Amino acid sequence: MSRTNSPAPAIELRGVSRRFTDPGGQNVGVQPTSLAVPAGEIHGIIGFSGAGKSTLLRLVNLLERPDAGEVIVHGQDLTRLSAAGLRQARHRIGMIFQHFNLLHNLTVAENVALPMRLSGEPAARIRERVAACLDFVGLAAKADVHPGRLSGGQKQRVAIARALAPEPHVLLADEPTSALDPRTTLDLLGVLADANRRFGVTILLVSHEMEVIRRLCHRVSVMEAGQIVEQLDIANGRIPEGSRLGGWLAEFGGTTGSASPEPIEPAPHHLVQESAHA
Amino acid sequence: MLETLEELLPEILKATGETLLMMGICLSAALVLGGALGLLVFLTSRGQALGRYRAFNLLANGVINVVRSFPFIILLVAISPFTRVVAGTSIGPLAASVPLSIAAIFYFARLIEQTLRDVPRGVIEAAEAMGASPLQIVRHVLLVEARSGLVLAVTVLAVSFLSYSAVAGVVGGGGIGDLAIRYGYYRFQTDVMLITIVLLVALVQSIQFLGQWLARRVDKR
Repeated sequence: MSRTNSPAPAIELRGVSRRFTDPGGQNVGVQPTSLAVPAGEIHGIIGFSGAGKSTLLRLVNLLERPDAGEVIVHGQDLTRLSAAGLRQARHRIGMIFQHFNLLHNLTVAENVALPMRLSGEPAARIRERVAACLDFVGLAAKADVHPGRLSGGQKQRVAIARALAPEPHVLLADEPTSALDPRTTLDLLGVLADANRRFGVTILLVSHEMEVIRRLCHRVSVMEAGQIVEQLDIANGRIPEGSRLGGWLAEFGGTTGSASPEPIEPAPHHLVQESAHA
Repeated sequence: MLETLEELLPEILKATGETLLMMGICLSAALVLGGALGLLVFLTSRGQALGRYRAFNLLANGVINVVRSFPFIILLVAISPFTRVVAGTSIGPLAASVPLSIAAIFYFARLIEQTLRDVPRGVIEAAEAMGASPLQIVRHVLLVEARSGLVLAVTVLAVSFLSYSAVAGVVGGGGIGDLAIRYGYYRFQTDVMLITIVLLVALVQSIQFLGQWLARRVDKR
């Protein structure tokens, strides 16, 4: 399942680095690191807290500006764009978050419409996309409800619909299931896999949950101390034995009661229990 | 007491009109100028859309603090030359509106800045990730998500400046508070004092009730 022969990658980070200290004073920066994600791939980034996973993800749409290196999305080096050019490019880069980040004073439909209103799309086109995307995530019936009345899983579905509405090339997912229970997590992973299959959107996903990576991703990058230390193909949900990730799985899998790392139990277990950060 | 009321009715009506005039002017100035200033201070704070204009942020914060340090009565006297230039006179409700407006602008700027801080950082970030410009973030995110807090900020402003407007009596500003001071306090007419206080309490209650009702209505969180 090697996709390395594909032409131009959808996302390419070339030697990016970023010094960054999180509010807790922990250094979660990125060392000079490169990553290429081919179009159509679902690529996972996994690692312990403070490994720099989220920082790396946020470099892709320049929510964090790299201190050095190039960020190329859909053939465009974002670091060279003007402020207006960057805004234009961001219209085609969707993003979803651990805590959903919906606007609570807007209805579900208004939330989904927001990115398209910001980019000045005609009203008729917005209506059509909002209906299509809410339908896709199975929340057409909730269009006029405010997010405060939805469950966590439903909120994340709305966030996915919002990210997909402008037909992005790329979808960035920052711990999208970490605030959700295991069953809801599985539902959501289904929605993301569907979006990848049906719309061909390239997904770059950060998670500390091995199950999420294993079930959803085609390929995974393992991060440690701000660097990608390993990249693996995941075929049929198997983590190759003898890999660093396989080692972690064996080590932490042992604590949950399963003696052997293979076959992997379907019950999600957390690689690292991260406290929810605001 | 009824006789006093009848006797004083024209005075009370006039005073109420003056109070409303002063409040109208200073609240409008605060909403427009103070609102804009508060918004800019918020946007230029660390990590926000215009965070690179740090110098403006420090300067504006400093100015807001300095103006807010003045006890209102001192401000009133201190800026009277400026008041004379703007209003053409330094006495009467129009003149009193000048220091009231200045105080209200900086008071409201601070209120707005603090209210906007309640909008979760993640929501603003989501809009940035969508490609929102700073102006779009203001219009489509901050003003939407903070709107019930903004309504309450206006409510607090109105109640505070109803009280401040009484001090305007010092420069013959007029208004209900002035009436209370002139008749009720200086002339020991307790009944007048009571009438004006009842009037002020009724006004404050109405403002507060209206503000809270509206804030609840626009809050869908």
